[in-house]
Amino acid sequence: MPPSYSSRLVLVVACVLALLGITASTAHAQAGGTLVIALDQEPPTLDPHASPSAVTFQIIASITENLVYRGLDGKLVPWLAESWTSARDGRSVTFKLRRDVKFHDGTPFNADAVKFNFDRIVDPKFKAGGSRSSLAGYAGSKVLDEFTVQVSFENPYAPFLAYAAGGTLSIVSPKAVRETGDQVHTRPVGSGPFMVKDYVAKDHTTMVRNPAYTRKAPWSDRAGGALLDTVVWKFVPEAGTRVTTLESGETQAIYLVPAQSLPRFEKNSAVRVEKIPYPGAPRIWLLNTTRPPLDDVKVRRALNYAVDKEALLATVFKGIALKAFAPLTAAMLDDPTLRQAYPFDPAKAQALLAEAGWQPGADGIRTRAGARLEIVLNAIEYGGGPEPTAQLIQSSLREVGIDVKIKAQARPPWYEDNYRCATHGPVMFLRAVDPDGLYPLFHSSLVGGNFNWSCVKNAKLDQLLEQGRREFDPAKRRAIYLTIEQMAIDEALTVPLLDELSVWAFRAAVRGVKYNFATYPVLSDAAIQK
Amino acid sequence: MLIYLARRVLAVVPVLFGVTLAVFSMLFLVPGDPVKMMLAEFVTSPDQIAQMRAQLHLDEPLPQQYGRFVANALRGDLGTSIRSRRPVATEIAENVASTAQLALASMAVAIAIGVPLGLLAALFRNTWLDVGSMVVALLGVSMPSFWLGLLMIFVFSLHLAWFPATGGGDLLHLVLPSLTLGTIASAIIARLTRSSMLEVLGQDYVRTARAKGLAWWGVVVRHALKNALIPIITIFGLQFGNLLAGAVIVETVFSRPGLGRLIVGGILAKDFPLVQGTVLFVAASYVMINVLVDVAYAFVDPRIRVG
Repeated sequence: MPPSYSSRLVLVVACVLALLGITASTAHAQAGGTLVIALDQEPPTLDPHASPSAVTFQIIASITENLVYRGLDGKLVPWLAESWTSARDGRSVTFKLRRDVKFHDGTPFNADAVKFNFDRIVDPKFKAGGSRSSLAGYAGSKVLDEFTVQVSFENPYAPFLAYAAGGTLSIVSPKAVRETGDQVHTRPVGSGPFMVKDYVAKDHTTMVRNPAYTRKAPWSDRAGGALLDTVVWKFVPEAGTRVTTLESGETQAIYLVPAQSLPRFEKNSAVRVEKIPYPGAPRIWLLNTTRPPLDDVKVRRALNYAVDKEALLATVFKGIALKAFAPLTAAMLDDPTLRQAYPFDPAKAQALLAEAGWQPGADGIRTRAGARLEIVLNAIEYGGGPEPTAQLIQSSLREVGIDVKIKAQARPPWYEDNYRCATHGPVMFLRAVDPDGLYPLFHSSLVGGNFNWSCVKNAKLDQLLEQGRREFDPAKRRAIYLTIEQMAIDEALTVPLLDELSVWAFRAAVRGVKYNFATYPVLSDAAIQK
Repeated sequence: MLIYLARRVLAVVPVLFGVTLAVFSMLFLVPGDPVKMMLAEFVTSPDQIAQMRAQLHLDEPLPQQYGRFVANALRGDLGTSIRSRRPVATEIAENVASTAQLALASMAVAIAIGVPLGLLAALFRNTWLDVGSMVVALLGVSMPSFWLGLLMIFVFSLHLAWFPATGGGDLLHLVLPSLTLGTIASAIIARLTRSSMLEVLGQDYVRTARAKGLAWWGVVVRHALKNALIPIITIFGLQFGNLLAGAVIVETVFSRPGLGRLIVGGILAKDFPLVQGTVLFVAASYVMINVLVDVAYAFVDPRIRVG
């Protein structure tokens, strides 16, 4: 196991392993039953290729299948593909497919189906969601024989394998797409252990056991399909209502447990909470490196020492986040060198600011040559106030003599300011399933676009980010991205704030829920203990 | 009568004009570029932005855009939702029944609570019954619906386990949401019934009825209440708007399908066509229902036809 994923496993593995034993031994005794899960929102669509939204992928994780599977350990293992080889030039991957797979509508899965799915995503007439960027530079798929397909790209594209394991590149039945068209919206026809039975807008969607599923799911240690008969996903936007339905037993699981309900749940023995760190970028302040005074690396480092993340973890984010150390979450890439970088040390911050020429002023704010040390933080106004970290950053930095102005605004002008590098940077977060998530953050070509809002143009960084896309060897890739992270920390391009957790709560009788790398639950081993 | 009807219907035209204008301008009153805002969450190229602009006809002069908007709306074409990519009219059609159910049930609850409460207060004017009823009404009108909703869930769903907290469908699911909305709406009905009843009870014909020896209770129910309830019909129309507004909150709290949820979802997703279409539909129904109420009023109360 690479050390990079250890921290996320620390949280999950202990209880999951403990449960595995129980589940495996008593699996058949508990088969059947219905699991009702309340989600915080309704998906815009269940079509994996059209959806821009994580909710879709939470729901369909056990309905559709992918060429490759990736669990919380981060390893890519066979799923619909039995094996794969990457070409030497990194521009194509050849997949050998399973021969025993049928879609829920009875049609066989084969190389043509893979080609159909990927071609559908890049079809200009199709409005693709997140799937389009997963296939960046897609040059086409070639059916080599009935069960062999070669997927090609214009440029070397190593992140493709990680994306091939993600929900956006799920494989759906070509027949169903051709015949039902927009029906894919609510009825994606996949090949997984569950299939969609009904969809009632603003209320729920039901999925039922696929009786034809006899294979061993890649996350499971047994062959055969789902243990549960039925899973109902209810859409319950109001957090208080969601919490109550779990307590009353109306639902057996809920997603997005509000921080203020956690202490109550943790005292309630009828309820169990599971927290899985998200991969991707943490909640992070991207520092605009072009705008004085943040063009001075000493000031940027001072910010990193001065922001009190513990205070955030003790208040708004209590129990639903971990301290962040780098521009990728520890779940994505972890290393002792990253964790040591910037401890909370206001004295050190003060010293750095003094070194940079900023001396304490009369009103407690530092000045240099008559100018006050002012920083504008770009924050989204959510209606109930700006981004929750903004005020804490403001008060932390005031302690060391920096005056932070919070520019709380609606999303569109917030984006505009980021594109124009017009503030000292926004607080934001990005979910990603590959360390290539650093490319949009730091590649010079994306200043003025999404999401190089640190406005950094650094030839060495560019070169490393491009190299990461070409490198297929996992150990070498890791080394490349670790170097990038160390550079980002050394140059203090950001202030990493919090690694957020995907927080689920279950009735204690619910067992065997597992999670894929993106933190979406896979449910074929889930059961309700009688 | 015909003239009265014609006048009422004609009065609707400028109102609807105002409504369409307001709904149409929504897109331009929000700061920032609407297209960029709608596409913010997607990965976009300049091509896609241009395509979207053309698709929404945002490249045309404003009056032309407005004309198209109204013409399409008259044909029942309210555009296509950006998030779900389905016609807005279809989305509305799927949700309207659920909200209508909720509104009617809440109205029934409001009348069932409000009329007896107001009646009691009027008949026992200046006694503790009067004060008590009006305090209850005041509480009802002051209670925020999300709070009352959560309270209902807490008591009737979590502790007593009588009713489910979430979902739509059968009557059992309708109980808590309609109680929540109805309780709040009942307050104003109680107050109105009280004042209207007091006014009627002071009329000469009530004294006459009593003088010719009719039983007190008979006079109250058959003569006084019947007349006192006429203003309640007007309130029905006006309250309908409040109920729709309340549905936005209550449907979210009880995660019930409906127009309220549709609007909230649309706003959160910055799905402009969906929000515009739904708001237009709701506003137009509100106007139409009030016309119907006015017409019904004329039938119930001959004095209005004459005047």
